[in-house]
Amino acid sequence: MGLIEFAAAKALASSAVFLFITLLMMAAAKRISTCIILFSTQSAIMAAEILALAYAGKSAEAYAVAALVIVVKVVAIPYALFRIVKDLKASQDVASSTTGAQSVFIMAGLILLSFHVVVPYAKTLRLDEDLLAAAVALLLAGAFLMVSRKKALMQVIGLLVLENGIFLAALTTTYGMPLVIEIGIFFDLLMGVFLMGLFVFRIRDTFEHLDVSKLRRLRG
Amino acid sequence: MNLALDVIQALLLVAIAPLVRGVVARVKARIQNRRGASVWRPYADLLKLFRKQDLVPETASGLFRLAPVILFAVTVTAAAFIPVLHPSALFGAGGDFILLVYLLAIGRFFLMLGAMDGGSSFGGMGASREALVSALAEAPLLLALVSVAILAHTVTMSGIVLSTVRQNPLHLSAVYGFALGAMILVAIAETGRIPVDNPATHLELTMIHEAMVLEYSGPSLALIEWANAVKLALIMAMLVGVFAPWGMATSTSIAALVLAPLAFVFKLAVLAVAIAVIESSMAKLRMYLVPDFLGMASALAILAVAFTALMR
Repeated sequence: MGLIEFAAAKALASSAVFLFITLLMMAAAKRISTCIILFSTQSAIMAAEILALAYAGKSAEAYAVAALVIVVKVVAIPYALFRIVKDLKASQDVASSTTGAQSVFIMAGLILLSFHVVVPYAKTLRLDEDLLAAAVALLLAGAFLMVSRKKALMQVIGLLVLENGIFLAALTTTYGMPLVIEIGIFFDLLMGVFLMGLFVFRIRDTFEHLDVSKLRRLRG
Repeated sequence: MNLALDVIQALLLVAIAPLVRGVVARVKARIQNRRGASVWRPYADLLKLFRKQDLVPETASGLFRLAPVILFAVTVTAAAFIPVLHPSALFGAGGDFILLVYLLAIGRFFLMLGAMDGGSSFGGMGASREALVSALAEAPLLLALVSVAILAHTVTMSGIVLSTVRQNPLHLSAVYGFALGAMILVAIAETGRIPVDNPATHLELTMIHEAMVLEYSGPSLALIEWANAVKLALIMAMLVGVFAPWGMATSTSIAALVLAPLAFVFKLAVLAVAIAVIESSMAKLRMYLVPDFLGMASALAILAVAFTALMR
């Protein structure tokens, strides 16, 4: 077995586990910049997986999708988020409403729940159980990060994690959408991040903080 | 031949334990831009303490002198359960990993009793903190070992190590990853390193282990310090044995016997440098954040056990 075949097989077999590890680390992370790096890592793992699928399926479209993931999710969006964090000059704390241990416990529970949910479908549809579970876990984890972290920027990161989950679900069930649609989704996502970045700045300028739990009344 | 190796590896663990501490202290000093003491310094310290007079507080009972002896004896016994040079151990057939964990607990229990017997308020404070940390660290340590034991289909340490050493490092189950994460967090708490406890401090507000041994002096203190060093080496050897035992002598050929100690010393050195780097780059946690730290270890350990059923 050649080195590339081996790497591809390994990427397919173990990417789910690495995704779980990034999720657990995100739950434990106390700083926004750590979460951004973890999101970038998560996207890189998914890119490796798409490359492995592309290699196995020998499709040129999948290589293009992998390149898009690397450009947009591994580099561009984390870079934009880092710029926002730097320009905001706000504290790096994610302001979690659960303690670190509680977050990791909940995240572990979500991972187990996603396995529980996925097993019947994976059997009937003959899909990779681990990857489908990872997709559902990413969805749940993104939602959990959005509701439990009070900083406006963490809501953006939660949404991005959630989007990663949808992307992975599409990838594992249908081996990816047509390239045109993928390009559209990525463009949407990039614009979404820029818009949310603008919103975060507006929130800071009008309310002088980023704590979404305190956004209770309207201000002109 | 096997018996000789068993005895040698247990003695090796006890003998090099102070050296491990010395190496960690030296690397830390280097990171902080100091020259640092020689790596042999802990041996000199032990020798000095053994020659000194043993002062016992007037209020203390016989337990005060007995506690360090029991602690040392129990820790050395525990060291004989750990496979170091080959996947077998001196007491490997006599007990499982549960006995190993609770041997360490017995030692800790007597150290806490001795600390309270000393009569100073610091001793009591250190003992109560130690009780908190050890109660919280016990569950994740046992669960992490259980998850690995389920995969190995055995409860003995040597069986667990043997099953890992036979596997291809590139095809290890995901369970090992989660169990390793939990075990590293527990190991930091159990051995009293930063961010849970600072072995170099004598600050009243933060010390745990140092507060317990404050009343001890002379040979008693030497036994406690040596036992503590053995415990650090033992837990490092356990991590190496369960998660990275490749290089151990699985046969009795000359090449394997030469390679095994070299591989072990190399892995121990890597771990010692890792400890030094972690200790130099992190701040100590507030006492009330320690349960949170160990809670993460528990979550990881539970996930590891659950994954033994989910993933192969």
